[in-house]
This record gives sequence, structure tokens and C-alpha cells, in this order.
Amino acid sequence: MEPTTTTPSLTPDAAFARYVLPEVEVLYRVARSITGHDADAEDLVQETMLRAFRSIERFDGRHPRAWLLTIMRNAQINRFRRKRPGLLNDPDEAADRALSMADERPGPEQVAMDARFDAVVEEAYQELPERFREVVDLVDLAGLSYAEAAEVLEVPQGTVMSRLHRGRKRLREALRAAGIERGGIA
Amino acid sequence: MKILGRGIGTRRQMSCHQVGEVLQTYLDDELDERSVRKVAAHLEDCRRCGLEREVYDALKTSLRRGPEDVADGPVARLREFGERLARGELDPEELDAP
Repeated sequence: MEPTTTTPSLTPDAAFARYVLPEVEVLYRVARSITGHDADAEDLVQETMLRAFRSIERFDGRHPRAWLLTIMRNAQINRFRRKRPGLLNDPDEAADRALSMADERPGPEQVAMDARFDAVVEEAYQELPERFREVVDLVDLAGLSYAEAAEVLEVPQGTVMSRLHRGRKRLREALRAAGIERGGIA
Repeated sequence: MKILGRGIGTRRQMSCHQVGEVLQTYLDDELDERSVRKVAAHLEDCRRCGLEREVYDALKTSLRRGPEDVADGPVARLREFGERLARGELDPEELDAP
């Protein structure tokens, strides 16, 4: 059972082990999506864990994944500002630049029929505006609910739904344009 | 049957358009219970919407899987880093982020 308030019975070390360590793989997957580079993703997760370690005593034990993704998102924003201070006044442009700097490797190796489906999804996903991609990351990759994603992004739940659905719809249109249905060729 | 269904209010079937509007919410398990029943009933009978549901299901699966399998190395290193932090073997102050 998850506690509903603070977790006085756990030492900070134990709380860290309980709430943070099980989320490492999800954090890494989302970080890799955000940064587009394996090494940057590893650095970002490491920084996220350090920040989480420092603030674990203030964490109430509820929704650890959403809490950690909030920390990671803030860490990434700070990292990006350090690298690109001139873009501070235009977050959309900054996000677009970040997106354009993302990994441009070709699609993944996948098994036969799924391969093309996944490749089309991946390509279309990379072309999504950052505000759509981050919602897709939180809901589809990290498995957060709409409410949790809204909390992480500090936007209304309706905004999460709108961005998520519009984002996925673009991916769906890309599949249609490529003549792909249900993981196979239409 | 559809004509009889008109005017029954809550029992009225959803149209394809209405299902399309809430399909993603339905697949995300974020739809209210009554609407879930209506959507499910529609999907049982409507081939076109059933196919659309399959596409979105596959899309969500593809997105969940990510661009490729996660390499074991970085995750293992990060887990070890976290475990050492939790055991007090690392000083977070010395590891301060750049």
C-alpha cells in the first residue's frame, strides 16, 4: 500500500531505494526520448537521481514515477538553458531546436511485419512538436495517467488530452499515408 | 433496431463519429464507466471502428516499446549508481551536477 502522507517510517536511504530504484529503466527510456542521445540520457537520469536523493525527505510517497519525471523535466530544462541561454525567451523555438538536435538514426531493428509499422511511427513521432511528444512520452512510454501527466507538465488535464490525442492522430495519419494498417500493409 | 433505439436516452447507441471522438480516451482507460460500455458495444458491431481501434492499439504498443530495445549497460550502471547512493557509498555533494 502506498502511504498517503509522509513516510516517517522510512529512512531517506530506504525511501530512495523503494521509490526511485524501481523507476530507473522508465526514467532512462524517457530521458533517451527527451535527449535523443544515450550518453545524455544517462547523465540526465543520474542528475535526476541526485536531485531525488536530495529531496526524498520532502516526498510524500505518492506517485513516485510522476514525481521523478517532474524532477527530470525540470533538470532537462535547466540543462538546456545552460547550453542555450540565448533561447531563453522563446521556449517553443528552444524546444524545436532541441527536437532538431535529437537522434536522427534510422528506425529500429524489429521483427518482420512490425518493423515498417514501428519505423513509420518512429519517424512521425520524431516530427511531432515537442509539446505533443512530451505528453506521448509521459502517457505511452512512462505509463502515467492523464492526471499524473498534467501534474508533471503543470497544465490542465484537458490540455494533456488534447495534445496527446492530436499527437497520436498525426502518427495515425502517417500510418495511413504509408498505407499501413494494424501492423501490416493495408 | 436503430430507429427503436432513438429516444431511449442513455441506451442510445453511439455513432461512429462519437466513438472516434473518445476512442483514445477509451484505450487509455480514462473513460467513464457508462461510456466505456457504449463504446465497447459499438466496437462489437462496427468493423470500421474495430479496425481503427486495432490501429490505435498497435500504435500505443509501438510507442510503449520505444524506438528500440533499451540496452542493458546504461540501465545497469544507473541502477548501481542509485544503489550506491542509497547505501551511502556516494557523497551527493561531491557529485553535484554541472
